[in-house]
Amino acid sequence: MQQFNTDILVIGSGPAGLSAANSAISQGATVIIVERERSLGGILKQCIHDGFGLVRYGQKLTGPEYAQRDIDVLIHSSATILLSTFVTSIVKSEHGFIAEFVNRQGAGNIRANKIIFATGCRERTSKQILIQGTNPSGVMTAGTAQHYINLQGLMPTKRCVILGSGDIGLIMARRLTLEGAKVVGVYEIKATPSGLTRNVVQCLNDYGIPLYLSHTVTRVFGADRLTAVEICRVDEHMKVIPDTAEIIECDALILSVGLIPETEMHNQLSLPIDKNTSGAIVDQHFMTLMDNCYSVGNATHVNDLVDYVSQSGEIAGKHASCSCQPRFFVRPKLNGELAYFIPQVIDVSSSDKDIVCYFRSKRDIKRAVITVKDKDKIVYTKRLNNVKPTEMQRILVDISKLDNTSIVSVELEEICEN
Amino acid sequence: MTRIDRIAKKINRVYPHIVVSEKDGCVRLTGEMDRWDDVLSAGKMAVSGHFFGVLNDIKLAGFTQPPIKRPVLDDDRYDGAVCDVLVIGGGVIGCSIARELTRYNIKVILVEKQSDVATMQSARNDGAIHVGIDLPNKTKKLHYLARSNCMYEQLSAQLDFPFTRHGQYVLSTSWWHLPIMLALKVKAMRQKITNLQFMGRRKLAGVVPNLSKNVKFGILMDKGGCVCPYGMTIAYADNAVQNGAKILLNTIVTGMDVTDGVIIGVHTNRGIIKPRVVVNAAGVYADVIAEYAQDRFYTIHPRRGTNLILDRQSKSHIINDAGSISMYLSRKLRQRVHSKGGGILQTVDDNVLVGPDSVETPYREDHSTTIESINAVMSKHALTSPTMSNRDIINYFTGVRSATYEEDFVIEYGKKTTNIVHVAGIQSPGLSAAPAIAIDVSKMAVVILTKYRIVLANNKFNPVRKGVTNISKLSIQERDELIRINPNYGEIVCRCEGISKGEILDALHLPLCVPTLDGIKRRVRAGMGRCQGAFCQPLIMDIIKEDRGLPYDRISKKGEDRVILSVNKE
Repeated sequence: MQQFNTDILVIGSGPAGLSAANSAISQGATVIIVERERSLGGILKQCIHDGFGLVRYGQKLTGPEYAQRDIDVLIHSSATILLSTFVTSIVKSEHGFIAEFVNRQGAGNIRANKIIFATGCRERTSKQILIQGTNPSGVMTAGTAQHYINLQGLMPTKRCVILGSGDIGLIMARRLTLEGAKVVGVYEIKATPSGLTRNVVQCLNDYGIPLYLSHTVTRVFGADRLTAVEICRVDEHMKVIPDTAEIIECDALILSVGLIPETEMHNQLSLPIDKNTSGAIVDQHFMTLMDNCYSVGNATHVNDLVDYVSQSGEIAGKHASCSCQPRFFVRPKLNGELAYFIPQVIDVSSSDKDIVCYFRSKRDIKRAVITVKDKDKIVYTKRLNNVKPTEMQRILVDISKLDNTSIVSVELEEICEN
Repeated sequence: MTRIDRIAKKINRVYPHIVVSEKDGCVRLTGEMDRWDDVLSAGKMAVSGHFFGVLNDIKLAGFTQPPIKRPVLDDDRYDGAVCDVLVIGGGVIGCSIARELTRYNIKVILVEKQSDVATMQSARNDGAIHVGIDLPNKTKKLHYLARSNCMYEQLSAQLDFPFTRHGQYVLSTSWWHLPIMLALKVKAMRQKITNLQFMGRRKLAGVVPNLSKNVKFGILMDKGGCVCPYGMTIAYADNAVQNGAKILLNTIVTGMDVTDGVIIGVHTNRGIIKPRVVVNAAGVYADVIAEYAQDRFYTIHPRRGTNLILDRQSKSHIINDAGSISMYLSRKLRQRVHSKGGGILQTVDDNVLVGPDSVETPYREDHSTTIESINAVMSKHALTSPTMSNRDIINYFTGVRSATYEEDFVIEYGKKTTNIVHVAGIQSPGLSAAPAIAIDVSKMAVVILTKYRIVLANNKFNPVRKGVTNISKLSIQERDELIRINPNYGEIVCRCEGISKGEILDALHLPLCVPTLDGIKRRVRAGMGRCQGAFCQPLIMDIIKEDRGLPYDRISKKGEDRVILSVNKE
């Protein structure tokens, strides 16, 4: 059986895993990176549109270009790269972790002192949003459609409806149109688009693809291949309004209805999961509540820019290459309009000054203020314009004044001004 | 007053316009009604032990049954084919009968109109192996269930399909139910059906972690179990093929030539097949096939049921190593949740399954789901485990039970036509009862056949069928050895279920090869996890293409559809 030993084991070679591995190696750690697919890069491989890297590189790169920058660093480093290798189980051992895996060479195990989960996320399916009707072919997630078109040169549709205005949905609307398919429309259950504004403009408006807000697909038809979908309007609570059903003929329903962090491996270690992010609970270094076990990128919370995914990998990789000191957590209490706040716990025993925090709001707020307090003392405050649930916010908070007596609260409030 | 007059009087008191007559030993109802519920209730009123069955030919006003779904195939490939026994229908009943028939030195053909076996009720049910303690004495249901229940250990070992016997629990919210349960215990002991053990809340909490506060007590019947229903059917079908039966998929029966009470030809979309004996195991269309055979003496009334599959991760808060858990409902509660049966099950694959509900419908083949059914199932089983939520759902499906008005199995020789055996009205516990039904029906077919030829045992019959090994259940050392022999077992394709390329290729090389995405999914679970194939579907397409030499635009999900509509040549 194959046997490996390493300081740090990174699982997943998407942008989070790549940058975690690179940053750990640059600090002198030995790293093994495991990827279940045949090549490095994760989902970026199939994201051939541009717009990646504006924050990190100040450039608009395509997905493969963006990934390649990290891949180039990785393959020239000391990292051990295991491709087409699937981790089948992870257990905590006395001195760290033991991961069992299989690949075409056989089975094996890796003993690691530290582990970084960079397992990404998966797409929500039609059944998870309770679409009813038959079970035909032609109902697929945007990611699957993207795989067929961009990686295999196969067209899964000629005339389709897209449900969900998440970024992948918007990008696929444009991609499908460019490949000759008719996109009847993009339908969104919410009253506002879910994707970035720039994608609504560049992917829909520029191609004359209609966007229908407060609409959803309720039913699919067709015994074998999809023949039509039923679309209904919804009210402000996203409940279907009766008698608004409209039947639209199409051969495919492409779904972009949300992403869910992949936490199957996290669950093997029984790591606590945050109900709001559906990902693991982490501190400011993306270390989970289990010492020496990290969770980065979209496996922790779904980011809207790849740049921030890479950044989380970088932070975790760097931290993992140092020895782990005993941690002391304070758990910020969330108030007001916060949908979630990362880190869910702050390790106040570290010597950090500025830590990166991410949050999303529960609803659209024109003028808002985010405040981090220690008891009544304001640690950080910032005014923000146009806060939306769909756009992740990122702030740098100085925690050097916090200690183990701190009682931290975070509040996002609307400002009413005359 | 004759018997038929008495039935007519009873029905006409409620439904004066319905014509009640006697036809070939059956009670026949004709006329027209506005509500399906009335059609059903008239049919039920016509049930009588003195007649063969009910022919409910009452029309529902404004309703036309959609045409039976036909395969696209249309050729003469099997025209003139001769066989000893033709089994119509590739559900668990048809496939198990075909397998039992291969114990004899006879030629067996099974026709199935869908592109795989077990696509209807045999796939669309919960897989529970029932105990049947609630079934009335002297019913065929109880007879066959009792005989079958104890066969599963041996069968699952022979045919290599998963089976667990974790017991069947029935919970109660009222101490008033205690006498009923005690009566069941007496029956269980007297008829030696099962051990029946009373359980208090503390013991039950070990099985249902978030047990509803309303539950007072429960019973455990140790004979309750669970199979993968389509897995069992596929196993029977494979073993039948191994032993010489021919299974013709995409083949629909469209009519029959009957002369002097003997079927001499069976018309299909692939030509006329000439069997000596016909076994009618056509599920919801059994009465249609019976009509073709000029031997109709029962009516199928479809009854829909929806089941929900929950994420494996939700198991920890719902069910803990129990076969099935159901709630004994008072009549009042039953009316409130509009359902009678169903439960929470731990499937053989460790998912949680909840359902089914029970909705009468005139549509025989409508498997589309509705939000009403989903909500009904969820709210009903929240009575047992209140923490269950829609967030746990990963899939749901609807099946159509083929009930007769007598609500019992029809396992009988033809009444007028002499070379047919009817296996109809097979609804719950039909899956559980299939093994014993198959044994009896194969013998009945042989009895007819002996009028035409000498039937001997098939010396080469091999009862053992090997399915696809689930490598994720092997130890790491065993896996290592296996991969060294065949590296395909080390290439994981379906990440949710951990299924390798080797297993998918094994599925394509089973005796009954069904090279579709669903065919593979049903054989090795690739695509059955929480991503529902979003990641692995394109990879499985590649494997089918490579192994079967099919171009992308001819690969389908379930036989006659296309996943890819055009291939970019560049």
